Amino acid sequence: MAEIMLDALAETLLMVSCSTLFSAAGGFGLSILLIMTGPHGLRPNPRVYTVLDIVVNLVRSFPFMILMIALIPFTRLVAGVAYGSGAAIVPLTVAAIPFMARLIEGSLLEVDPGVVEAARSFGASDRQILFRVMVKEALPSIVLNVAILAITLLGYSAMAGAIGGGGLGALAYNEGYIRFKADIMFCSVAVLILVVQCIQSGGNHLYKKLR
Amino acid sequence: MITVKNLEKHYGGVPVLRDLSFSIEEGEIFGIVGNSGAGKSTLLRCFNGLERYQGGSVTVMGKEVAALNEAGLKALRRDIGMIFQNFGLMGRKNVFENVAFPLRIWETPPQSFREFLARLQFWRAPSKEVTDRVMEFLELMGLADKHFERVQSLSGGQKQRVGIARALALYPKILLCDEATSALDPNTTMDILSLLQSINSRLKLTMVVVTHQMEVVKRICHRLLLLDKGIAQCLGKTEELFISSTECLKKFMEDDYTLIATGTNIRLMFMSPREISQDAVITTMARDLDISFSIVGGKLERYLDDVLGFLIINVPDEHLDVVFCYMKEKNLHWEVLGNGRDNVGRPR
Repeated sequence: MAEIMLDALAETLLMVSCSTLFSAAGGFGLSILLIMTGPHGLRPNPRVYTVLDIVVNLVRSFPFMILMIALIPFTRLVAGVAYGSGAAIVPLTVAAIPFMARLIEGSLLEVDPGVVEAARSFGASDRQILFRVMVKEALPSIVLNVAILAITLLGYSAMAGAIGGGGLGALAYNEGYIRFKADIMFCSVAVLILVVQCIQSGGNHLYKKLR
Repeated sequence: MITVKNLEKHYGGVPVLRDLSFSIEEGEIFGIVGNSGAGKSTLLRCFNGLERYQGGSVTVMGKEVAALNEAGLKALRRDIGMIFQNFGLMGRKNVFENVAFPLRIWETPPQSFREFLARLQFWRAPSKEVTDRVMEFLELMGLADKHFERVQSLSGGQKQRVGIARALALYPKILLCDEATSALDPNTTMDILSLLQSINSRLKLTMVVVTHQMEVVKRICHRLLLLDKGIAQCLGKTEELFISSTECLKKFMEDDYTLIATGTNIRLMFMSPREISQDAVITTMARDLDISFSIVGGKLERYLDDVLGFLIINVPDEHLDVVFCYMKEKNLHWEVLGNGRDNVGRPR
């Protein structure tokens, strides 16, 4: 049993870490666009902001299960195959990017406007304000949000079992629940709990260090 | 240094500044005073382009602010330092890095990709030039020993000193102070004011001070402009305005409290704040005499004859004698207001 557990754990970690990495990067870029064009942004542009806003809300309102199935052609295009842990990273990333963008947008909006104004008062450019003031000041909060994202993706990754993504969630369901192997079910859930704890306390630790 | 002519500004139809004209001379400390919402902070931000204006002109060091493009505006801001009520410091940086930040913003951009990569290392030590300049100002502020400390661990006064050091780091010609002492306690306020004063005389820096605190104006401003609802109320040398005690200045300091028509309105003056907090004059009097009276208004601020504050109370006429006796007994300073019965009662 230990072997299947370890395999499943490896699959889960692969899916979660890769999709967290990609969606954090993508979400960061998107959040910068949102912040720039937003109503109180550095370069307010209502038209661009509205479009981005709608797209973000649209993707976020999809149930992950449906999104994953809808994205199968896209997944095949990007990953070459439509099933397996590697392929599951694609829909996980797509689903998480808007979520991440919203979270980081929130973090950036929380930066004290007084600090931004001060930076502007001694001649900082928009780019300098964005990257050297806002992102820097918001970094601890962004890190904490990445931890939240990783945990959400852990939950989503369980559903990726539906397209053969494997992982602990799929193991708990397919082996444990369907085939009445209670021990496998409990073990997978226990390991999942452990992983969540690790991610969260890791995030908290980094937050405290960065703050 | 700064010339303002017929300046007009409005936010979506609501006028904020109306037909302002004045000029600020090189090397002087110019005060802009008014109650909150008078438009004084907005006016200050027109000087360095943080706010746009719709009419008239603002000329700073010979340049019309509204006509500047982005690069011109940045260059202008380089020559204008600014300090804030809430300091505007970066909480995650230490004292040194906060002061060095404007210098880093203005350092020459990397000339090659290699240089760019080298600068990406955030542990990169600052150049000797930057270090020297930052330490020079931190020493001037008396913070040299705290340069590695985090900003969050500093007291309010120390934070404002860091703010001042940062504002001076680019060797500006003008320093704008936006309610710089409003978040500080009275003693710290005095420290910061004398610091600003010494900077003004030592560095020959022109300063524009926005405040609602009369003590700030009295203490450091050479000339002042009183603003009310975006309109200039009076403009002149501080001593002259205070000595002639012009109507508008009086009005600003006393505010027009709606005096209660019945009974007698009495202004109680406090020579030091201790009288209010420790002896609790008002409540003690009410309790001792068993009389209720209404508090009409008041203000705690330093004024010409060192009065730190006053409270206006309204006493029903039938109790007037008892109250007078009591106030005499307790050696209080008071003055009867309104109804043409202005007689000043001072027991000593």
